Amino acid sequence: MRLRIIFSVLGIAMFFLIPKLFADYNLYQFCLIAVTSLIVLGLVIVTGIAGQISLGQSAFVALGGYGAAILATNWGVPLWLGIPLVAVLVATVGFLLGLMTLRVEGHYLALTTMAFTAIVQLALVHADAVTGGAAGMPVPSFELFGKSLSTGAELYYLIVPITALLFIVVINLNNSRTGRVFAAIRQSEIAAEAMGVNILVYKASAFAASAFLGAIGGGLLAILVTYLDPAQFGITQTVYYLAIAVVGGLLSPFGAIIGTTVFVFLPEFLQTFQTYLGLVFGIMLLGFIVLRPKGLASLIDIENLKKIVFKSRRESVGS
Amino acid sequence: MLGQLLASSVTAGAVYALVALGFVLIHKGTGVVHFGYGDQVTFGAYLVLIIQFLTGLPFWPAVIVALFASAFLGWAIYNGLMRPLRNAPLLVQIIATLALGTVMREFLRAYMGPNAWSFPFLLTSSSFDLGGILLVPANLAIVGVSLALLCLLFFLFERTFRGKSIIAACDNRTGASLVGVSVSGVFSSIWMLASVIATVAGILVAPVLTLSPEMGLIGIKGFVAAILGGFNSLTGAVVGGILLGVIETLVGAYISSALKDMISYGILILVVLVRPQGLLGILSVKKV
Repeated sequence: MRLRIIFSVLGIAMFFLIPKLFADYNLYQFCLIAVTSLIVLGLVIVTGIAGQISLGQSAFVALGGYGAAILATNWGVPLWLGIPLVAVLVATVGFLLGLMTLRVEGHYLALTTMAFTAIVQLALVHADAVTGGAAGMPVPSFELFGKSLSTGAELYYLIVPITALLFIVVINLNNSRTGRVFAAIRQSEIAAEAMGVNILVYKASAFAASAFLGAIGGGLLAILVTYLDPAQFGITQTVYYLAIAVVGGLLSPFGAIIGTTVFVFLPEFLQTFQTYLGLVFGIMLLGFIVLRPKGLASLIDIENLKKIVFKSRRESVGS
Repeated sequence: MLGQLLASSVTAGAVYALVALGFVLIHKGTGVVHFGYGDQVTFGAYLVLIIQFLTGLPFWPAVIVALFASAFLGWAIYNGLMRPLRNAPLLVQIIATLALGTVMREFLRAYMGPNAWSFPFLLTSSSFDLGGILLVPANLAIVGVSLALLCLLFFLFERTFRGKSIIAACDNRTGASLVGVSVSGVFSSIWMLASVIATVAGILVAPVLTLSPEMGLIGIKGFVAAILGGFNSLTGAVVGGILLGVIETLVGAYISSALKDMISYGILILVVLVRPQGLLGILSVKKV
């Protein structure tokens, strides 16, 4: 317990220290990492932990981003209200999509969620009266208490705490009965069902959770990039999110952060090889799924770390 | 008007059928769904161009070299990727084939550039008149090749010993190897055959669509066709493909061209929910 307090204090201190140490552009990058990792976290829940393959994540992101932006542009609903509101609606859509898992699994689930993404993207292109069609639409600025947030530093104070909060919720959920049920469903649906778990509700809930996180991520992404373009939300983008999750580690919420950090910073290091960037990402995905399907997070043995921490605590208690 | 529409819709459908045939072949033969197949079709067409650049060969010899090269590619995909993953969870296999498609697409984007390339028609693209309906030989070639491939594969699966051993190997690997079928040899040849089909499809389709790294999106239409016809049925793939082409063209002509693609993806979801075995497929029972 003492250790947890120390970590929390350190974390909060770091949170306030970082804006003093880094330039505005870096803070913007941190925001991008936070938002993307939130989106990938949704994928970690549904595909990694609950074992239901989803190629629908970028559709949820699109619905979250466009939904909040359209509410703000056409009906004047402020973004701070619109984003969570839309996220709840998108979570409902995710739940309904998840109910399909009653009849659909494996390859067919991958195909249906893929088709869902394609339909949402086409709908955004063709509903040009509200979405701006293929050209896209600008996102109104995010205003809070009459002040509009736009610089990297201002957005940092908004986005990072929200992300941290949602991560804490998910990590706790993962260590609770719900998380264990998800893992049981991944390992054997039949065994889980035999234990009296209503697997359909749980699978649908996993989809709802991933849709919620995707939509919140989408709303925050919209604020960050200030312009929405339907081309950003296709099947390629879904595979990109999946690649982040796989490289980071599909089974662990921390994997989402690790993977996103790699994928956001790698282009910086490969600046002279911009044309090969997509190829590098593809090869990384292929290499990790074949050689290390549990991703980078599995290199850091969290269980082992816990043991070390517990042991040292017991010793410190004993001494 | 309707006759002309149907004639051109059959062409579009034959393109989907050709892609669907490859999917169904791999799925029927090895139990894997190749999510990167659309990209492999694109890769096949590019392969001809790449070989022409590297060796300076004229078009037709380059096509033949490309067909051999793609057979080797299929062999390499199976032995380098799918065979090591044969006991991996389904999720890992799905992501691996997605990754394979991404690598192919991004390789083409990096090596050949993101822009479209022109690709020659195999037959003339100028139309001729048949009883008031305009037909294009290049398009008829697509229809002809997909029907010919269907007959060939049908013959292979139903009438040859090799075909029986493929079905046996997919049905029960242990059982098949006990009676002397080389399972990895069978799977290897399936991947080679499917890769050659991908290249054939790519070469036929590239001049009709636009040859760019994004052409692989045709793969989703191939999925719809395969699902519609039945994911385990070769005849179903062709029927599903043609049917999809007809539905799309009719929707595009009489309802709205914006709805065309959305309806075909909607069909995918609907068929999966209502009749997962497709129109001509046989429902497989899941065993515990």
